[in-house]
Amino acid sequence: MKNWKQLIGLDNLSADYSFARGESTGYTAAAKIPDTWVPTTCGYCSVGCGIEIGVKEGRAIASRPHAAHPVNRGKLCPKGLAEHYTIDTDNRLRTPLLRKGGKLVPVSWDEALSTMVERFRGTQARHGASALGVLSTGQLVTEEFYTLGKLVQLGFGTNNYDGNTTLCMASAVSGYKATFGSDGPPGSYQDMEDADVVFLIGANIADNHPILTQYLHNKPGQVVISADPRVTKTAMRSDLHLPLRPRTDLALLNGLAHLLIELDLVDHAFIAAHTQGFEELRRFVAEYPPARVAEITGLSQEQLYRTASLLGRAKSAFLAWTMGVNHSTQGTETVSAICNLSLLTGKIGKAGSAPFSITGQCNAMGTRETGFTASLPGYRKFDNPADRADLARLWNVEESRLPRARGGAYPDIIEGAVAGRIRALWIIATNPLVSFPNQSLLRHALGNLDFLVVQDGYHPTPTTELADLVLPAAIWGEKEGTYTNSERRVSKVNRAVAPPGEAKADFEIFLAVAEKLGCREELYPGWTCVEDAFNEWRRVSAGRLCDYSGISYALLAEQGAVQWPYPAGATEGTERLYGDGAFPTADGRAKLTCAAWAPFPEQPNRDYPLILNTGRTVEHWHTRTKTKEVPILERLSPHAWLEMNPRDAQAIGLRSHDRVSVVSRRGSVEKVELRLTEIIAPGQVFMPFHYFEANVNEVTQSAFDPISREPNYKQCAVRVERSGVNK
Amino acid sequence: MTSLPLLVSELVQWRATEAEVEATPCSLIPSREPGTGEQYRFHFDMSKCIGCKCCVVACNEQNGNPAAINWRRVGEVEGGHYPNTQRHYLSMGCNHCVEPSCLIGCPVEAYTKSPTTGVVVHSADACIGCQYCVWNCSYGVPQYNPERGVVGKCDLCHNRLSDGEAPACASACPEGAIAIEIVNVAEWKASYAAQQTPGLPAGEDCISTTRITLPAHLPPDLGRVDTQHLQAEAPHWPLVFMLVLTQLAVGSFSLLWVLDAAGGLVEASRAGALLLGIASVSLAASTLHLGRPVYAWRALRNLRRSWLSREVFALSLFAGIAAVYAGALWVDLPHRGWLGVMTAVAGAAGLLCSARLYMVPARPAWNSFYTPVEFFATAVLLGPLFVSALGGAELRTVAVVGAGLQLGVQAMRFLWLSQSEAFELRAVARLLGGRFQNLFLLRMAILIGAGIALPLVVTSPGGQAWALALALGGEILGRWLFFVSVVPQSMAAGFSTSRGAA
Repeated sequence: MKNWKQLIGLDNLSADYSFARGESTGYTAAAKIPDTWVPTTCGYCSVGCGIEIGVKEGRAIASRPHAAHPVNRGKLCPKGLAEHYTIDTDNRLRTPLLRKGGKLVPVSWDEALSTMVERFRGTQARHGASALGVLSTGQLVTEEFYTLGKLVQLGFGTNNYDGNTTLCMASAVSGYKATFGSDGPPGSYQDMEDADVVFLIGANIADNHPILTQYLHNKPGQVVISADPRVTKTAMRSDLHLPLRPRTDLALLNGLAHLLIELDLVDHAFIAAHTQGFEELRRFVAEYPPARVAEITGLSQEQLYRTASLLGRAKSAFLAWTMGVNHSTQGTETVSAICNLSLLTGKIGKAGSAPFSITGQCNAMGTRETGFTASLPGYRKFDNPADRADLARLWNVEESRLPRARGGAYPDIIEGAVAGRIRALWIIATNPLVSFPNQSLLRHALGNLDFLVVQDGYHPTPTTELADLVLPAAIWGEKEGTYTNSERRVSKVNRAVAPPGEAKADFEIFLAVAEKLGCREELYPGWTCVEDAFNEWRRVSAGRLCDYSGISYALLAEQGAVQWPYPAGATEGTERLYGDGAFPTADGRAKLTCAAWAPFPEQPNRDYPLILNTGRTVEHWHTRTKTKEVPILERLSPHAWLEMNPRDAQAIGLRSHDRVSVVSRRGSVEKVELRLTEIIAPGQVFMPFHYFEANVNEVTQSAFDPISREPNYKQCAVRVERSGVNK
Repeated sequence: MTSLPLLVSELVQWRATEAEVEATPCSLIPSREPGTGEQYRFHFDMSKCIGCKCCVVACNEQNGNPAAINWRRVGEVEGGHYPNTQRHYLSMGCNHCVEPSCLIGCPVEAYTKSPTTGVVVHSADACIGCQYCVWNCSYGVPQYNPERGVVGKCDLCHNRLSDGEAPACASACPEGAIAIEIVNVAEWKASYAAQQTPGLPAGEDCISTTRITLPAHLPPDLGRVDTQHLQAEAPHWPLVFMLVLTQLAVGSFSLLWVLDAAGGLVEASRAGALLLGIASVSLAASTLHLGRPVYAWRALRNLRRSWLSREVFALSLFAGIAAVYAGALWVDLPHRGWLGVMTAVAGAAGLLCSARLYMVPARPAWNSFYTPVEFFATAVLLGPLFVSALGGAELRTVAVVGAGLQLGVQAMRFLWLSQSEAFELRAVARLLGGRFQNLFLLRMAILIGAGIALPLVVTSPGGQAWALALALGGEILGRWLFFVSVVPQSMAAGFSTSRGAA
């Protein structure tokens, strides 16, 4: 409300809008000049930008790029530039909340954790240890993932533990494992800059990893090829866009392998020395001649020849992908097929050459390495007795306590809850009520539970609202640790401000739960801070591919962010893996894999004639829990939309800005603003997934990669109906 | 790499031509200050922009603006057909024009153009929040901040520039698409017209200095994406009432003088006093339109250039003379005819200034002779109805002429708008025939009913009063439509964001 001086205009708030010259900022709005800048790493995506939080009187008031950080070259994306707004919001959770008489009421930490442990233990006593499921995230610091993994697998004794990373990068993990014998992105961003050819497959980096676009087109003559059914910002800026039909990427990749062999653009010496399975692959891809591949993909044979020729003749080629590949029932196989191309041409382990997964979340890599979900910590294998023995020795526990197989992956935990096998669930820093496909099934699953704990920084979120117990967590900017980015770069995360109310760092919560369980001293002997966890992890990772043993907090302070492997005694990190051509497989050779292309599971028909694709927008992050609290980002992208080609719209009498319903066999999403645009092909529609208010995952399907268990978010059959007219 | 079988000319669509690339310096800011005949300006490279909107966020942070105000905005243009589609982005702050229409129109001289740097700077302390600059700018650059009661706009971060630092937008851009450079003003004036940017007004009314590098190969149908999403402009209620009531007063006073001179006037003293009251109240109420009403008097500062200053002056003069004339009528002063003439002339001048100030290139639907004719028709309609309702004289046929004129104006204007090639004009017709169709038709029906049918059919004073009340309501509705239906020239907006927004 305005006071009388403002009403008549005597006061124009010039004090609030004044400017000043800050020593560290230059001339700027006086309110944006902080007392100190705290260096840290961005908490959104896995590009892993260095960022500084401006703190004034204990509050975060500004964000700016960390000029010296090697990744982002003094820039941030719009989310990063406004990241401080995520911290001090009205909906931060300040105390634990326990459901009593149907309502969530504030309780003490002691009551909260006692109840949690009692309920979890009770459920496990009645239904078996594996009746407890845990769903984690890619958002915590590495030290927390490491701590949580031990707590879940050794403390609670359940292996039904997975992260939202399975909704994200699991196919990259399993594809790497299938080809190279281990997870671990082989290349670096620098390789992207140094490559003669950059081949982006299902990767719209201009929207989703905008800071990486700085690495493109700097090298004279660099050619960027983009394979994407949608004419994305990235596709438009590529030199060659391959507008293939949805989910025909595996056919394209097999076809390219065919052409590379046919045109003799393969590296015979490398194949002979470092791979196995070439003959099988040669025979297999003979079934993917250009004519057939053109038929499947909708590309011209000329485009296929040109792409193969570019990849084969270039001195270096960087093959990068993101969710267009991973979000697929054939994701793992498609990743392996990408790796095939690198191996066939010998373009791996050399400057400018690598197959490379551009990861999603800020610390998805950290949980992949330490997390104890899809593998044992340090990329150790559940089914490898030597790995288990090694870990048991390091931890000084009985080997029998280590699980011999992976438990349920994310979708299997959800389906387990539907079937009644999972009775209690602990969800940490993720919001499945926006992000999980086929929401009606998820609601059914969560409704079946005896007890649901949600640990989050914010309340309400669509997920915390369903919880029996909500634990208030500190978030980015309020806690310490490390993140590891897409290029294996370990970057320090620092605390700039105190968490609100009684909120605690996830690390402290995990230790407190262990305390209640009575396993704190056993699992975390003498630990008081996250650095203790990091130092144990260094020992556990020593000698592994993801070797952190030479990295300490002191070294990170001195050298800045560094890339693993960084063994003890080394003086610098490792820019790329497999430079020696030795792969972590049984015979030291990478495996060329044969994977047959199949159409995506839910093909359009008369009732559901359109193929729905889902994705992101540059202004928002994942389920928008954070970015909806940032006014400028909401201003720039306030609501969901559906992209449709004008030719399809004309046929059903729709106009731009009409409100439409998107309907699939599983559900519908209503009142979505229609955007007619030629960036989407006729027969396809696209919708961003960030918006709970219009949640596209009401219509996406429960179809998962059989190996990685990653959902097939990118294609399902829908129809579009008018629900309101634009006037 | 040259051996690669890639025909660059065939494939590379988004890149700038080599000549453009050559002409673009690497540094974000010039290494020297502008010399004589030169000024700073923005260079925007559309071929580099990926539409990430970092510039918008950085600008808001730099200037401490709330999210709803964006001194830098990003718009979209799109063309071509799948898969040969192109979508490009326009990032724009202030164009620091050679002949800034914001500065020329500002009644309080809150704008200055630096003689050394050419930067157009706005003073929040001098500003009274009349928002006339908002109407004058073809790019939607000045934006009103309701919390402060003043407008604000991009000042090229000239205080950073003078410290050797890049403006916030330029320094935030990951692609290096925004830079500051020095332009020779005379050379630019000779060559600027050749720069045609899809999604941006041509800018001949103010000579934008911003240089824009376009991608080398653009589809011919590349155009704005926001054309299907029309937003109503603010109604400016105080101005709606001020315009209609001053027009009523001008029409009525003019009739009083004519009737008085012809000796056919009865009830003159009551009519004069009442009209004076109406005119005074409407003028006083118009200050409520200002963000800072207490400084309304400053609006007289720029009589040299601003039609708003002139309107304030002319209408104040009209009110002053009308007061004397009303006094003369009240005391039945002899030889008062010349006072009546002066009142009518000052009123007509005020009415014309009112109309003229809306005739700005940035609001094409206002920028036509229909505006003064519409305002004049209101005076011809309401003046006689008012005098008749007070029993002053029998002027029903004059009112019918006024109503007929207004009907004709509205019908012809609608026809002109709907047949126009220009988006900003056609869009007004779409609003009047679409979202505001019922109100527009009601307005026309009231003109027929209260301006023609009632005056011709009903003769009782009560009936005349009804006709006046209805017609007054109709004209108020008409003026409201005048404000809300105008579609300003601006940079193309994004799809999801509102017009004028980032």
